[in-house]
Amino acid sequence: MLKKIALVFSLALIVACSSSDDSSQGGTTDTFDRSALLKNLADNIIIPAYQDFGIKLTNLKGSINAFVATPNQNTLDAARKTWLTAYSAWQHLEMYNIGKAEALNQYYYFMNIYPVTVSDIENGVLTGAFDLNTPSYHDAQGFPALDYLLYGLAADDAGIIAKFSTDKNAQGYKDYLTAVINQMDKLTKDVITDWTTVYRDQFVNSSQNTATSSLNKFVNDYIFYYEKGLRANKIGIPAGVFSSTPLPNKVEGYYNQKVSKALSLEALNAVQNVFNGKSFNGSATGASFKTYLDYLETNKEGEKLSMLINNQFDLARTKIQALDSNFSAQINADNSKMTAAYDALQRAVVYLKVDMVQAFNISVDYIDADGD
Amino acid sequence: MRKILLGLAITSTLLTSCSSDDEVNNPTITVEAPATYKFTRDGNSTVDFNGQTTRIKMAMELRSALKDNTKSAAELQALFSHREGDIDFSDAELNASKKNVRNKVAASKDLFGANTTLSNEIKSLMDSWIEQQATTVFPNWEMTATAGSAGQLQQAGGGAVRYVNGKGLELDQAVAKTLIGGLMTDQMLNNYLSTSVLDEASNIQNNDNAIVESGKFYTTMEHKWDEAYGYLYGNEVDPAVPVLGADSFLNTYLNQVDADADFAGTAAAVYDAFKLGRAAIVAKNYDLRDEQVAIIRKNVSLVPAVRAVHYLQEGKLSMAAGDTAKAFHALSEALGFINSLQFTRQPNTNSPYFTNAEVTAFMDTLLAENGFWDVTPETLDSISGTIASKFGFPVAAAN
Repeated sequence: MLKKIALVFSLALIVACSSSDDSSQGGTTDTFDRSALLKNLADNIIIPAYQDFGIKLTNLKGSINAFVATPNQNTLDAARKTWLTAYSAWQHLEMYNIGKAEALNQYYYFMNIYPVTVSDIENGVLTGAFDLNTPSYHDAQGFPALDYLLYGLAADDAGIIAKFSTDKNAQGYKDYLTAVINQMDKLTKDVITDWTTVYRDQFVNSSQNTATSSLNKFVNDYIFYYEKGLRANKIGIPAGVFSSTPLPNKVEGYYNQKVSKALSLEALNAVQNVFNGKSFNGSATGASFKTYLDYLETNKEGEKLSMLINNQFDLARTKIQALDSNFSAQINADNSKMTAAYDALQRAVVYLKVDMVQAFNISVDYIDADGD
Repeated sequence: MRKILLGLAITSTLLTSCSSDDEVNNPTITVEAPATYKFTRDGNSTVDFNGQTTRIKMAMELRSALKDNTKSAAELQALFSHREGDIDFSDAELNASKKNVRNKVAASKDLFGANTTLSNEIKSLMDSWIEQQATTVFPNWEMTATAGSAGQLQQAGGGAVRYVNGKGLELDQAVAKTLIGGLMTDQMLNNYLSTSVLDEASNIQNNDNAIVESGKFYTTMEHKWDEAYGYLYGNEVDPAVPVLGADSFLNTYLNQVDADADFAGTAAAVYDAFKLGRAAIVAKNYDLRDEQVAIIRKNVSLVPAVRAVHYLQEGKLSMAAGDTAKAFHALSEALGFINSLQFTRQPNTNSPYFTNAEVTAFMDTLLAENGFWDVTPETLDSISGTIASKFGFPVAAAN
């Protein structure tokens, strides 16, 4: 993790200096009701999203158990279908690396680190000696491991089903698959339980502006996710933005070969809905980053910053929609469309990470390590 | 563009004030630049830019190899986009490095952070020049160049032999002079000296409180500034006291611009601004720091501009004198410097002096049809005039 703990001084003084092209609020502490924003996030967005995901993950667990019990085309199809449904719902949660999710030493490390290390999975299958709780198995579990086990084990479906039935290591595959879904299920229940029992109130009541206050942490997690989980992992890394050549095998849902675009669009929708405070179950909107920025009358280049951000999200969506449903195929056919999508996503980073946090008077607590 | 400072200890002297751009910050404290670029904390040097030195040395080897006709396209490309551990260079330390030249070309945060598509196009153009050198120029090494076919041309009076492609372009010159902009200038002016890098995350807060990087003696902001310094002076024997002429890139061409009486003082202006800006960081005076950034941007941007005009004019004169080889050599340097103009920076803006589209149009004009073989003096004067007037110097000053 790149996170640094921001320092809190016993006697903190907030000084804001604005240069002439900046119209965010200077100097004074604003009177926006941060607690209302936190309530809307917790009650109308985060907790409903977790509950929705919990149901879909339970369905996935059921269909995987049925597949393990009776490996055939029907049960495989059902497991794949529930995998995709749950994976899509997951896109709404990965940004919430706060509370229990963070305390687990990053819940998302156990849910969506890709690409998977196939040799770790195969070795685990072969020997039965694996521990999904160790960091070295972060990239051998979660949705990406299910992607490999349900789509990537063999060239065709019959071959995949054979791995779980007639293969000499069939029991090993069954055990590994079961261990992965059980781990996802257990950790998810831990996080949901925490939100619905103690953490919701903690989250909502921590409405001050310190480095460890809810909104400060949440804003950082949100931007970090946008920058890393969405922009880099889904688009930038496979498009080769951070390497000498494109890396088409690093897309999300690599073995499925059809869903990398759909998952990215879902993630972008989730990010934008949080920005606008849109209820998870419905179209109502409440207190949000957007209403906070509008309350502060934050403008940039003569436009409302909240509008610039929404426009940029919309533009990025258009660029992603123009891509092949399989990003690997897109990279191999015409990578410049991938980098164009990356560029559109990147343009919103400046709005979020510079302009928005300045308006909120929040420090960014992580830094990109990209120097010499 | 610095705006937020959090958590200043009230017991320490308050060095911050809110100011508009034209106000002098902090008038009671005078920041003095040291005589040389030496900075310490508790007796330890806080200056480090070994990564920049590494990349300059890699670029030096690439430049030499482009004139070695025994090299394959793959070998040349490997010098450009080296991978850690591959035996590409004569220097073992470079081979062991995980750095390479290519991934820092057109890679500044300000100009290319959200323009990776364009960055890839610029890199690809350089890839194609490097490949063409091996596949088109090297096989014709002993042939005499003619319009449309690669080969060699010798300068008048038993002078140097120049190896050109079918358009008369020395590809090694195009690559080397593009690196002056694409690597050194872009990284320096548009990345490390940018507020988006210097003031990223908690850099101001940490610098204000002298919080150094883990295991280092410098704050992040100090280090970013030094990395900018390293792209100019990193290959000097004693980088703290630069003598210039220490590489084949920006360092040397800053020296050449400075040697022209019309631009005398350019080199000292840059060095002094680097020293004072670094001292300003130590003194937590960020307005003074940013004033030095503006000075560095203006003067370093002048290098490719003056050299481009200089070589365009030299090409015109040599052509008139019938020395085709000398003319093509000059125009090849000019083309690389023109390409470098897209990496300059107009002080106090977010823009280079010329955009990618503009420099591409210049290059397309120079390389149209048979390229240098049939470029006209009028074209050379026209491009010279456009560049010189943008920077506000007369064409004749660059001669």
